Amino acid sequence: MTVVPQGGGTVARGGGSGNLYDILELILDRGLVIDVFVRVSLVGIEILKIDARIVVASVDTYLRFAEACNRLDLESGRKAPAQLTDVVGEVTQGGAHGKSKGALTGAMEAVADTLQQRREGEKEPEARHERAARRPTRRREE
Amino acid sequence: MAVYVYSIVAADHPQRLGGLNGVGDPPSTLRVVHAEELSAVVSDAPEGLRPKRRDLAAHQAVQERLMADGTVLPLQFGLTAPDDDAVRSALEERAEQYADRLEALEGCAEYNLKAGQEEESLLRRILLESDEARELNERIKGGDSNPDLALALGELVVQEVQARNEAVAGEVVQALRPFARDERSAAPAGNDFVNVSFLVAREDKERFLAEEKELAAELGENFDVRLHGPLPAYSFV
Repeated sequence: MTVVPQGGGTVARGGGSGNLYDILELILDRGLVIDVFVRVSLVGIEILKIDARIVVASVDTYLRFAEACNRLDLESGRKAPAQLTDVVGEVTQGGAHGKSKGALTGAMEAVADTLQQRREGEKEPEARHERAARRPTRRREE
Repeated sequence: MAVYVYSIVAADHPQRLGGLNGVGDPPSTLRVVHAEELSAVVSDAPEGLRPKRRDLAAHQAVQERLMADGTVLPLQFGLTAPDDDAVRSALEERAEQYADRLEALEGCAEYNLKAGQEEESLLRRILLESDEARELNERIKGGDSNPDLALALGELVVQEVQARNEAVAGEVVQALRPFARDERSAAPAGNDFVNVSFLVAREDKERFLAEEKELAAELGENFDVRLHGPLPAYSFV
């Protein structure tokens, strides 16, 4: 498949697991369905959403966000991209890749049928996804 | 023997599958089942097929190869028919419907866009822009131990996060919509706030990509924007 890196003008061909991970839901959940055909058991593939922690209006969520705000040092202000870009870019590229791979392998091999849950999750309009503290990742697949 | 079905293409599609393997371990052999106006790419269905990474990749590779030579209707992963005859009759039964869909998708590809925002910069911005949030935050940091403060701050910030995410998601979709024939949104996963697929025609591709690039640049460093495509039109079959 092809990934268009956001910063680059060229269209890179690639087939890394990071790519596959991002389009897994399309392969598994979209696509033509012919109703007289039988679908193989897909138990175990829906770990996809394992890191999709949904923001619900709960005390825990409020406290987590409050703490995250308390931790911020507003005075030190913005990040200095010039200082950070290189290092962060390098680290997160490896990190994101590794994470994708791990999650994908897990998704393929673990056993848990959460397909139904996932569908239900999609229907829930109030669902928001919580953001774990993270660095900006700019994935560039090659 | 059960057959695994990958894709439907027009009978006059070149159907070049050389060098590709099907799903299963050891990999199955790809072949084509022909009906009158349509063909289906199939293989024997391996016993106990599980959605392992290599199987998903094999399924995807078939779509990509077919897409390179024409229009393809990608099937959802994991569909099997009892035998070739069942595939043939499925093709014939719905021939018109599939042919229409193939025609509609001609020259089009799917682009899937996912984007997330770095949490820290988002929170920082909320605190800078909301006097109420900033005040609450300062009181807590200043040592006010009233437990209601943290809850009030958290609730306010969560609302802001949701509102801002929705707003950015809306902007992203709106910016790209003029260059797409169709779109389909899904629930964002993980740290993302938007997950949307666009159906983009060949003639709009360059403009779509240029717009997306501009959008990503505008959003800047604190956003993680991933665009995947051109993909087989999984979301628009």
